[in-house]
Amino acid sequence: MKKNSKIILGVICCLFALVFLSGCAEKETEKATSIPATQSVTESSSVAVTEESIATQTEKIEETNPVSSANATSNVETTEVKLAEGNFTIGINQFAEHGSLDNCRKGFIEGLASKGLVEGKNLTIDYQNAQTDIGIANQIAQIFVSKKVDLLCGIATPSAQACYNAASKAGLPVIYTAVTSPEAAGLANSDGTNPGKVTGTSDLLPAKAQLEMIREVLPNAKKIGILYTTSEANSKPMIDLYQQLAPQYGFELVIKGISTGSDIPTATDAILNEVDCMTNLLDNTVVNSLATILDKANAKKIPVFGSEIEQVRLGCVAAEGVDYVELGKVTGQMAADVLLGNGKIEDLKYKTIEESNLYINETAAKNLGITLPDSLKQRAVETF
Amino acid sequence: MIFAIMAMGIYITYSILDFPDLTADGSFPLGGAVTAALMTSGVSGIRIFELFIPMYILALPIAFLIGMLAGIATGIIHVKFKIRDLISGIIVMTGLFTINLRIAGAANVPIFRLENLFQNPFVSRLFSGALQPYTNFVIIFLAVFLCKSVLDAYLKTKSGLILRAVGDNSQFVTTLAVDKGNVKILGLAIANGLIALSGSLMTQWQRVFDLQQGTGTMVIGLASVIIGMSFTKQLSFLKATTGAIIGSILYRACIAIAIQLGLSANDLKLITAVLLFVILVLSQSKKKKVNANA
Repeated sequence: MKKNSKIILGVICCLFALVFLSGCAEKETEKATSIPATQSVTESSSVAVTEESIATQTEKIEETNPVSSANATSNVETTEVKLAEGNFTIGINQFAEHGSLDNCRKGFIEGLASKGLVEGKNLTIDYQNAQTDIGIANQIAQIFVSKKVDLLCGIATPSAQACYNAASKAGLPVIYTAVTSPEAAGLANSDGTNPGKVTGTSDLLPAKAQLEMIREVLPNAKKIGILYTTSEANSKPMIDLYQQLAPQYGFELVIKGISTGSDIPTATDAILNEVDCMTNLLDNTVVNSLATILDKANAKKIPVFGSEIEQVRLGCVAAEGVDYVELGKVTGQMAADVLLGNGKIEDLKYKTIEESNLYINETAAKNLGITLPDSLKQRAVETF
Repeated sequence: MIFAIMAMGIYITYSILDFPDLTADGSFPLGGAVTAALMTSGVSGIRIFELFIPMYILALPIAFLIGMLAGIATGIIHVKFKIRDLISGIIVMTGLFTINLRIAGAANVPIFRLENLFQNPFVSRLFSGALQPYTNFVIIFLAVFLCKSVLDAYLKTKSGLILRAVGDNSQFVTTLAVDKGNVKILGLAIANGLIALSGSLMTQWQRVFDLQQGTGTMVIGLASVIIGMSFTKQLSFLKATTGAIIGSILYRACIAIAIQLGLSANDLKLITAVLLFVILVLSQSKKKKVNANA
């Protein structure tokens, strides 16, 4: 028996060693990539100066042959901007791993770059994902604070709240994005001002545009069905908004709440019997089970409208959605302003993107026997 | 550290009563929901109490009491209706999901702007200047210590001894002419009270209540208790409650290290699972050893 337990102990030790080694290996490669970056900034200001001079040189070259700049607009955008002085660290706390939030992060980094804060040059980004665990989101925020990062970025409501909670005690600034209702989340006062060193961008759905679009596609529809998860904070304010706007477009809302993903098949069956069409919110649980919903809806020839590009790609008829890369860019620019001291964070009001992009899926529409109006086809940013 | 109180609750059910109590996943956010509701409510009947005692302190015993109710519910379902322990926990946990939502009023209730246990005029006067970074630590330490002392003292009383006997030797309890069903209900009540209390503290600390904050409570608690127990077995001068506290600190430290190492949260769960499995196997082989010797 003793031998047995010794063997098990040995196995544990090996396991731990493996885990830690793999962790360390990851860390080492990280270091290897980050060392030249930090060196270039920390070694001395001379490097920064040369970089700046390079930047100015490229600008001069562009001036001399304007043809090249017209060709590569996106590249020029990043090289044109002078590197800002200083060396900053940003901790990104992202709540889940899915298309919209990843796009947000991408845009955020682009937005920072457009203001002269380039990752790997004068900016270090520490990115952590909480995988939808609130406890982990809190712990990530604590670690960022103990590392004394210059700014915390929370992507999605729970992460934003965790960041604000941890950072406000330490007096660090927080920028959030993809928060549907900053007021309801306690990240903004009811008059839209900031409760502290916290601001960001909201991804409130363009419900008005969506309803207008649905009316255009289905002139005779009366009832719109919406499924939402009762435990998701972002869905409630969206439902309220839809409920407020729907009568203006002659719609009646049918709302069904679910508690977990496994409720979706039954709830979908129930709601499909009552409605003429369905529309989605940015409800993570519902969006994750979109394939099931689409399958059932298509069988009954009921069109489903999405709320962002990925859902249309999957087979929703159309969507008026927020461009998350753009949202992230705006957020990144706000973060850069805060870091570079262009205005106090307390005075920077949170922003909402007004315009929306239309995405349509012609194959899905065809299968349902719907003809999309030409006006929509022309307006669509992307057609599948 | 806040999880330590919860771990003590799990210790009562898992270790003392030998009862896999899934109610924890519901009663942890229950404590939070009660706290959030009390702190944000505008009902004047509740507000009157605030003249005597701040709401954030009052919320703690109320959370404890309501958590006890949840435990009693599980106990009654198990003992009186003779439904298996796991199932009765699941029933109450599922029901609590709706109850929590109703109590709190929304899935996510921020209480950033309100005074709480960690942020109020008294505390900020007490911890000023250099002491300020340690505020949270000291308050949580005091809370944990208080809970531990009370629990230790209780376990030494007659009722506490009977509680401990139910898990180990239920026949003995029957020979004492005590209904072991009632003792089980009592144990579950205390356990879930503690879990709800820790949920209340957690909500005050993170300054936001979220319906999903309870997911995985049971696993965290179990992991803490088991890690702690493997320590206390080696060092017999430590009490089991201390073990639960140490276990929960170690568990959180492990996660913090893993995050620092750059492991993604996806891998964390697997590491937790492997860790739990290995420790369970270890403790089992020890039990066998005892049996073989006996």
